[in-house]
Amino acid sequence: MFTELSVGHLVEPFGSRRWSPAEIHSQIRKRLARFERLGLRPGDRVFLLFGNRPEFFAELLALWKLGACAVPVDARLTAFEVETLARAAEPKLAVGDEATSAESLAALERAGARALLTGETGPGESDAARVRLDDDALILFTSGSTGEPKGVLHTHRSLRARWMGLREHLPDEVFARTLCLLPTHFGHGLICNCLFPWLSGHDLYIAPPFRPDLVAQLGRVLDEHAITFMSSVPPIWKLALKLARPPQRGSLRRVHVGSAPLSAALWEDIRRWTGTRQVCNAYGITETGSWVAGLDDADVPVQDGLIGRGWGAVIQVLKTNATTQPLQPELACEPGESGYVWLNTPALMKGYFRRDDLTARAVVDGWFMTGDIGFLDEHGRLVLRGRERDEINKGGMKIYPADVDAVVERFAGVTDVCTFALDDPIYGQSVGMAVVLQNGSDETLCALYAWMKSHLAEHKLPSRWWVLETIPRTSRGKVNRDAVKAACQRQPPLDLPAVLARAARS
Amino acid sequence: MNPLRAEHRRQLVEFLRTIQKAGVPVESLRDEDRLVASGLIDSLAILQIVAWLETTYGIDFSVRGVSPEELGSIGGILDVIEQEKGAVTAAQP
Repeated sequence: MFTELSVGHLVEPFGSRRWSPAEIHSQIRKRLARFERLGLRPGDRVFLLFGNRPEFFAELLALWKLGACAVPVDARLTAFEVETLARAAEPKLAVGDEATSAESLAALERAGARALLTGETGPGESDAARVRLDDDALILFTSGSTGEPKGVLHTHRSLRARWMGLREHLPDEVFARTLCLLPTHFGHGLICNCLFPWLSGHDLYIAPPFRPDLVAQLGRVLDEHAITFMSSVPPIWKLALKLARPPQRGSLRRVHVGSAPLSAALWEDIRRWTGTRQVCNAYGITETGSWVAGLDDADVPVQDGLIGRGWGAVIQVLKTNATTQPLQPELACEPGESGYVWLNTPALMKGYFRRDDLTARAVVDGWFMTGDIGFLDEHGRLVLRGRERDEINKGGMKIYPADVDAVVERFAGVTDVCTFALDDPIYGQSVGMAVVLQNGSDETLCALYAWMKSHLAEHKLPSRWWVLETIPRTSRGKVNRDAVKAACQRQPPLDLPAVLARAARS
Repeated sequence: MNPLRAEHRRQLVEFLRTIQKAGVPVESLRDEDRLVASGLIDSLAILQIVAWLETTYGIDFSVRGVSPEELGSIGGILDVIEQEKGAVTAAQP
């Protein structure tokens, strides 16, 4: 089924375009001919700097048929971040669309990639089937866009293992008409919400991400297209429950929520709004091809943190998070005892792209250390309780404090910096920043703000700043981000808008 | 602008200052300027505006319904308040 890449329709539910499988294959052949003319070879990497439209999927499959490796990149990144990723991945080509910024295209050219637009297919069509199971298929960068990029590398084998694992646990027919509101540079959105159903021959309804005006029409769209399945993240559900009328037609058969903690209360609200009991808190990690555990039959009493059983994966909860020595059976926690969540799955990534050091820190004997904390209940179901990863989860978008720190540290007037997670009523978490400046004048603050805006994607910018005399450190000189956050929250944050307004007036 | 609408506007601007991004002074916005397009707030911040209207003015959006378009500008939000609260006095902050 997956090996021949049989596809369903691609539909824009908020537009009028509907590509049939015949049209999709024609679009793929045009792009194949274009890639061949440009000298693309098996193993070459290609950045896809756009997404969430039919052309993205035609580019992806053309690359795969040619044996090339696709690298979908968040179109919201700054040109600086795009260039940083490109210098690490060394793509031969980059494909954007009319919304791709000229600065990003220029950055790619500087990094040695030829940039073109997806509509530029040129004459002719071609066909090829050079894909081999162990070819590199997909790189998804999860962090390091400002310094040392960390790219999760999947082969066709690991991706197909993920999809086969899902097929064993989830009824095929519920995916007949699947809606995706998630970005396609994101493992959850691309590998599971889009490719799993679509490459099983089901129809994929693909919408632009992060658009409240579209989320407000969700009930109507579900009815109009008789959508049977969708996945999303908690903030999108909060928005839909508030802004959109519920669907009337009863077509939804199953709903997944993932990438950020799902409270029991929101879980029940989603069930009520959608009209289906089959609402599942899906556990997904990019390194394991996203959805790796959940409830086969989701009609169970809701519970904070309840995930379920592995989908094509074995789950262990261990007393250790160390990857420096082989795992021993006596390290296993008892049922109900919290510990570190480890996963073993044939869908595990090949590794972090050109970062064997990072791979060695995350994987031992084929077991992946997730960084999540949880326990297995008396039924063998995984229940998550927190995480130990150093990341800020802004509504499913993972932001790494080190990425923000790396940019701020390079600003000439900064002596020290520490970014941390702030509680946020919509996103769950947002970014806070403590900074020590040589000179805290309005001029310096404005220059720092401009520096950060030009180097960090909008969603990574701290929403609150605290200017401190020193950043609290442990006796070993290390930063404890929770302690810094606590120290900051004892005083009001900087009124940065007022500083910028004063500077603008003067 | 009538005094009641002016008071609603003052309260709204005070609230927007608590959720705004840094780069755009809220005071510089005209009533018709789009809040997201101007860079003042991000798109999902509409949820915070809805929650503020519910708690400050007692507007029940589950009954009334709402479109992001309506709440996309200072003027639009003031219109929603007036439609729902009519000539009732300004809310106590």
